[in-house]
Amino acid sequence: MKLEGAIEIAASPEAVWRVLIDPIDLAACVPGVDEVRQLDPQTFEGVVRASVGPIDGRFEFRAVRTSERFPDDLVVDVEGTDSMTRSRVLTHVEAAVVEHEPGRTTLTYRATVTTKGRLAIIGDMVLRATAGVMIGQVTRCLRGRLEAAAPAGPKDR
Amino acid sequence: MSAYDLIVVGGGTAGCVVAARASQDPACRVLLIEAGPDPQPLPGVVADPKRQQELVLESPYVRMYDVDREDGSSFPLLSGRIMGGGSSINNLAVVRPMACDFTAWSAFGGDAWSYDALLPTMRAIEDDPDFGDDPIHGRGGPLHLERSYRLDDAMDPPVRALVAAAAELGLPRCDDLNVPEPLGVCASPYNVREGVRQSTAVAYLGPARDRPNLTILADTTVTRVRLDGGRATGVEIIDDAGGARSVQASRIVLTAGVFHSPQVLLLSGIGPREELERHGIDTVVELDGVGRDYQDHAVVYITFQGTTDLREDYVIPKVRLIARSSPEAPDPDLHIFMQPSIRMEGMPPLLPVSIRLLEHRSRGRVRLATSDPADLPIVEPGLLDHPGDRAAMLGGFRLVEQLVARPSLAEFYGPLLSPGPDEDPMEHIRSSYISYYHGVGTCRMGPAADPGAVVGPDLRVHGVDGLWVADASVLPTVPHANTNLAAILVGEIAARQLAGA
Repeated sequence: MKLEGAIEIAASPEAVWRVLIDPIDLAACVPGVDEVRQLDPQTFEGVVRASVGPIDGRFEFRAVRTSERFPDDLVVDVEGTDSMTRSRVLTHVEAAVVEHEPGRTTLTYRATVTTKGRLAIIGDMVLRATAGVMIGQVTRCLRGRLEAAAPAGPKDR
Repeated sequence: MSAYDLIVVGGGTAGCVVAARASQDPACRVLLIEAGPDPQPLPGVVADPKRQQELVLESPYVRMYDVDREDGSSFPLLSGRIMGGGSSINNLAVVRPMACDFTAWSAFGGDAWSYDALLPTMRAIEDDPDFGDDPIHGRGGPLHLERSYRLDDAMDPPVRALVAAAAELGLPRCDDLNVPEPLGVCASPYNVREGVRQSTAVAYLGPARDRPNLTILADTTVTRVRLDGGRATGVEIIDDAGGARSVQASRIVLTAGVFHSPQVLLLSGIGPREELERHGIDTVVELDGVGRDYQDHAVVYITFQGTTDLREDYVIPKVRLIARSSPEAPDPDLHIFMQPSIRMEGMPPLLPVSIRLLEHRSRGRVRLATSDPADLPIVEPGLLDHPGDRAAMLGGFRLVEQLVARPSLAEFYGPLLSPGPDEDPMEHIRSSYISYYHGVGTCRMGPAADPGAVVGPDLRVHGVDGLWVADASVLPTVPHANTNLAAILVGEIAARQLAGA
């Protein structure tokens, strides 16, 4: 599954970038994250919970930042394993930030999600359904945090 | 003299039917060979329909075949790797092909494949306690079916809302899903008896197991059919411990399913010459149709925001909507299921709806990955390759949008979230479709003059004596229904042909 899009935020590229590379800060904006721990500057792990009909899923994940060059080269590889089928979900995310006008940043992202194992039978449907909503939630949360912290800029369009 | 009168290659849905029916004749020595296990007693995860999710997601009895979409993403096709095959792992729905399917099959197989000709066989399969006395239904057949939910039962609010919304769109209540042309909201019958799955391993093979003329070999793979001068004389087998040997028989029936029946034919030198040469296999009988004409049902999920958290026991999945993708569609070509909700902390409940297209205008194929029988074949399903299929799926998408916008369902279904408002619905369809797991057509039936036909209307392989194919792979078009009952029907037809052969 491939996902891509752009999010506009009324904050500087530097401020957006700081949140993106801080796993604790970022995880606070992601629905379903139960816990998150930073293992080293590039690696963190945690747990996400989701339910699909009668199935209650718990995903343990480990994320590694493999590239981090401000402002246009942030690459994160995430590997998750579900508690029920021990299937693996591999996610490769590329992100960049660009200031399209003073104090306003466009965050672009591109993600490829691959499910290995039995979870693929229902995984794609669930991931697609949740991804759009989750991105919307993350966007609202990021905006809320960054725009509250940023000095007053041009009004959001 | 051969050791057996009949070898049945594959104990799947149809294979169990053929073995059970053929062994009713005490003089017929039958060997049934299954690549998967034959656990006795049946494990609870297989027998208990309530453990369906665990069966599919966690048990060792499901085999996955990864296939690619046009954009490079992938999804799995499935088969059952256990005695009973698909009937041991499927969702137990008992759904007859529609009348239009028999009309289509008759064009390839003649009048013997018409609805009227096969109605007595369909009746003889069934043990339907609800409609058994109806002229089109049966009572006392091997396949007991039950309806855990009837439209006359007290309806939960979401079901009542679905029935009301469908009625406003001209889609009626349909109490019997298995009439020649069902349409509207239907309660599904299931092959369950007193809480136990009635796979063909249970319903057909179960009563036959103790017959002295029936031998069952599980955990054993048929690597090829032995051919001698254009006649099948036996099979070569290898068991899970690596022991290889050959077994002779006067008649061989392939019931290894839509992926493996063509694989066995190809490994035996029966198939398209170019494909065989690519793998260094000598061509014994050139049959271009082997592995061609794969058809299936595409499924697309679209997801709405739920206005309330419908828990997992809500009953909408017990019914399905059968509808047309457009007013011009000659036959009902959609199954629509309101699926259980998805929940994640911090997010509103999500309510998926699955749209299942019951036609397949394009054709896929199954081919060998290698000449090693242990390697799974490659499947190129071709789902939604044809613009007509994509248009029909989009028609289903629009129908669901209309459906959930009706006031009764709008109480439960909020805005469409996947695809989102900025996404192209057709792009969502093309990039996210999966399979209903209803593959057919890879050894399709047709007259000998038909260059794509593998078997004749009597299910004999063209150009080979003593060899039949008798599973869903012979169906020339995918039925407008789940395929388990169609596979049972093919097994019954084959058993009748073999009895007269």
